Amino acid sequence: MPSLIQSLLLVIAQAIVLLSVSPFLVGLIRKVKARFQCRQGASVFQPYADLAKLFRKQPVISSTASWIFPATPYILFASTLSAGLLVPTFLSQTPLNFAGNIIALVYLLALGTFFLILAGLDTGSAFGGMGSSREALVASLTEPAMILSIFAIALTAGSTNLSTIVHKTALLEGIVTDPSPHLMALAALFIVALAETGRVPVDNPATHLELTMIHEAMVLEYSGRYLALIEWAAGLKLAVFLSLVANVFAPWGIATTLTPSAMGIGLVVYLVKIAGLAVLIGTIECMFAKLRLFRVTDLLGVAFILALLGLLFFYILRS
Amino acid sequence: MQISPHIGSQLVDLCSALLLLTCFAIVAQRRLSACVDLFALQSAFLVLTAALVAFLTGNHHIYIAAALTGVIKVVIIPRVLKKVIERLNVKRELVMNVNVPAGLLICGALVMLAFFITQPIIPLGFLLTRDSLAIALAIVLIGFFTMIARQKAVSQLIGFLVMENGLFLGATAATYGMPLIVELGVFFDVLIAALIAGIYTNRLQDAFDSVDTSHLTVLKE
Repeated sequence: MPSLIQSLLLVIAQAIVLLSVSPFLVGLIRKVKARFQCRQGASVFQPYADLAKLFRKQPVISSTASWIFPATPYILFASTLSAGLLVPTFLSQTPLNFAGNIIALVYLLALGTFFLILAGLDTGSAFGGMGSSREALVASLTEPAMILSIFAIALTAGSTNLSTIVHKTALLEGIVTDPSPHLMALAALFIVALAETGRVPVDNPATHLELTMIHEAMVLEYSGRYLALIEWAAGLKLAVFLSLVANVFAPWGIATTLTPSAMGIGLVVYLVKIAGLAVLIGTIECMFAKLRLFRVTDLLGVAFILALLGLLFFYILRS
Repeated sequence: MQISPHIGSQLVDLCSALLLLTCFAIVAQRRLSACVDLFALQSAFLVLTAALVAFLTGNHHIYIAAALTGVIKVVIIPRVLKKVIERLNVKRELVMNVNVPAGLLICGALVMLAFFITQPIIPLGFLLTRDSLAIALAIVLIGFFTMIARQKAVSQLIGFLVMENGLFLGATAATYGMPLIVELGVFFDVLIAALIAGIYTNRLQDAFDSVDTSHLTVLKE
């Protein structure tokens, strides 16, 4: 059992890893897309420079905006970061694992989305309202699929605590006897991750065209440090989802003990895994076109059915 | 090299689950050419499953069946279908009797049905592949459903081929493959059926300017 100081240091270490790795992931995806389109593309470290620039700029706030508008970036950033602290990254036992399980994780992320939707409506611009309405549609459709896919995994591990799930799977204890529920849940969670982080088949993060944007339309009114926080939080959300996919389904290599060598290996393996997933997402973005908004329900319907089947397979095959 | 039966059984299960996953992709897909690609992918997973079973059990005749699946279902039939689609000049499946989300829900229910039907049988089996039996039945049912739910002849043909994939997986799962001569006969039948259906689709296009099979219920002189 780690001591209090040690826990505190681990929490800080995890926060630093998540915060520093998230702009890199965004940059990596952009680079992969650029290479596929035969462009040189900006450096993978460009998002860091963008964030630094935005933090120096003075924010402009609409005179009709209420307190929700300036408060939202902080709420979004804090809730996403605390959700990230609940997900094991390089160490299977997160020090904050007593504080919340997967249900807390899902609703911490939903809290940020909720405030972002409110902020989109707050300034009264037409685009903001449209983006909010679309985001509400997507968020309400992804939530059941996400909860069910995570429950399917929680059942096979016998706990809703993410640390316990990852720890048990990494040590090959209580790992599923049948891979089919796992595969269904993985496919569902991956679709959910694409939808929740505003990636191509659902939303296009590189666009400012009113027909296609969802996330961008909501944050159109933000500028300066508020925009920086929102962009960073979007990157963090991506990092949280990639960690979830990488560590819940393939946690091998993660540090299961507190020795420095195990943690070093865990960190390297973690970085390789999420970088690989980011490259995969970049590839998918180049291969597929964005879906029409009313086709998004079909895609998320697939995710929901797969997650439901994953859950049912568990009961049927185990009984 | 030896793989423990437990791990082997899990690998076979994983491959059959991949087959089921592509079934859902086919049901959710609207574009015809993407459906054909997904069918080719599903057949590739079937080849993998069959080769894995052949490797784990040492029944070498399954290798031949797997190779035939590879040639016929991954290469020849998708090519024929692509040609047909090109000639018909239809890119999209616009006529569906059941919309996509409802279709997916029905397919989910069919998978559950398949699992409940095979549940009494599964514990009696002692084969490595016994858990795949339920998935094979589910794939047959989904293929059947695709044939009912779609109105265009090409996607009905894909439904038929998916059903056949399910049957092959079922045969591999239940008995480690049928005798080779039966497999050869089945493959020949499927190939001829796909070719005839391709020609028939072209005739349908010539006669009605559409490949909607519901026109066939109306009598014409």
